[in-house]
Amino acid sequence: MDASQLLKGVLDVAVLAVVRDADGYGYDVVRRLRNAGLEDVGDASVYGTLRRLYQAGALTSYVVPSDEGPHRKYYAINDRGRSVLEDSTKTWRTFVDTVDGVLGRTVAA
Amino acid sequence: MTAPAAPDLARQVQNYLVAVECELSDLPAEERGDLLEDLETHLASLAEEDDDRPIDVRLGSPVAYAAELRSAAGLPPREGARPSRDRSAELRRWVGRAQAHPLGHEVHRLLLELRPAWWVLRGYLLIAVPTALSGDWDFPVPAPLGSEALGVLLVPAAVAGSVWLGRRELPSRWRVPVVVGGAFLGFLGFVAAVDGSPSDSADYGYAAEYGYPDVVPEQAIGQYPLVSRYGPVTDVLPYAADGTPLTDVLLYDQDGRPLAVGFQEWWADGCSRELRQPLAADGVPVAHAFPQRYVLDGSGTDEFGQPVPLGSCDATVQRPEVSLPEFPPSGSVSGSVSGSTSGSVSEASPSGD
Repeated sequence: MDASQLLKGVLDVAVLAVVRDADGYGYDVVRRLRNAGLEDVGDASVYGTLRRLYQAGALTSYVVPSDEGPHRKYYAINDRGRSVLEDSTKTWRTFVDTVDGVLGRTVAA
Repeated sequence: MTAPAAPDLARQVQNYLVAVECELSDLPAEERGDLLEDLETHLASLAEEDDDRPIDVRLGSPVAYAAELRSAAGLPPREGARPSRDRSAELRRWVGRAQAHPLGHEVHRLLLELRPAWWVLRGYLLIAVPTALSGDWDFPVPAPLGSEALGVLLVPAAVAGSVWLGRRELPSRWRVPVVVGGAFLGFLGFVAAVDGSPSDSADYGYAAEYGYPDVVPEQAIGQYPLVSRYGPVTDVLPYAADGTPLTDVLLYDQDGRPLAVGFQEWWADGCSRELRQPLAADGVPVAHAFPQRYVLDGSGTDEFGQPVPLGSCDATVQRPEVSLPEFPPSGSVSGSVSGSTSGSVSEASPSGD
C-alpha cells in the first residue's frame, strides 16, 4: 500500500503532534514531519491541514516579522488542539492495535 | 541557489503563484488570499534552500498543488472542473516555459506594460469598428449614425469602461469571452484601418498637396483632373506619325474642353484663370472655335487662403519650355504618345491676356 494514502488519514494527528512540541510555521512543520520519517508528506497537504485545523479552532496563529526574509505565520496548539490530539491519539492506538491484531492473525494463519 | 539564477527563480515563483491563484479563483477572495499568502511564504522559504530544481518539480504542478491544498484544507473541488483541465494545465506549462525564456520574459513584460494602452484602444475600437462596418470609417473621431458629436461622447465613455474592465479582477468564466472578444475587435479594427485608409480622400489630398500622389485615384480629383490607368497625367507630349515632336499643338476633348493635365506650375502665382471661349459678333460663345484663352478672374487665393490681388498676377506668363523625350527609331510609329493631334487648342497655352 502507498504510504501517502495512509498518511492522509493521520495527517491531523501528525501535524498536531509536531506543533505540540514547539510552535512552527508551515514549511518548518513540513520539514519536521519529513525529518521524523514521513518523507512522502506533500507541502500542499501540510498547508491545507494547518489551515483546516486553524479554522476548526485547534490551532492559533501569529505572525513573526523578519528583516531578512518574508514574515512567517507561526501555528501554535491550544487547549482544543491538545484535546483533539489526545482523542485522535487514542483512536490511532486502538486502530493500530486492531490492525496489528488482524495482521498478526493473518500471518499466524 | 546562486545569485545569477535569482531572477529566473523569481519568475518561476510568480508564474507558479499566478497558476495556483487561477486554480483557486472560485474561492472567496479572503480564503484565496490566505492560501496564497501561505504559498508565497512557502515559496520564499523554498528559495532559501540550496536546491536549484524547478518549482514545478519540487511542488508538483500548480494544478496538483491547488487540488491537494483544497483537499487537505477541507475545501470543495474547483467549480466547473472539467476533464480538459489537464489540457489547460499543459497549455499553462507551455506558457510558463515560454515566459521563463529570457526573450519570452521580455515580451511578457512588454505586453504587461502595454496593457493600459490596449485598454484605451479597445474602448476606441468598440465605437470605431461598428461605425466602420456600417460604412463610415472616420479617423480619428468615428461618427456613429453619421454624428461626429455622438462619437465624441461615446468614445471617452467606451474608453473609460474598457479601462475599468481591464483593471478589474474578472471572474474566470468571463476572462475567455473578454479576451477573445478583444482580440476579434482588434482584428476588425486592423482590417478596417488597412482597408479604409487608401480610399480616404483626405489622405490623397495630403499626398497630392505635396505633388507626390502615391496612390492611383479611381477618378479625376483636385489638382490632377486628367487620369490615366497609371495615375494622374501631368503632361501630354504629341508626336507626328513619323516621330517628329509636334509643337504648338493644343489638345481638347470631345466637348471642346481643354485637356487639363494637372497642376500648372507656371500658374503657381495663386491667380485664378477662367477659360474664355471666342464670342460671335452677337456675344454668343462660338462652339468649337479655337483657340480659346484664359483670363484672370481675380478670385485666386494664395497658400494661406488670402485673396490674391489681381494686380499681382502676371497675365503674360507663359508655359516654360519642357524638354521633349527622344522618340523611338522610325518604324515603330504605332507607339506614338500622341493623345490627339487634331490641331485643336490646348489649355497648355495660356494666352497672353
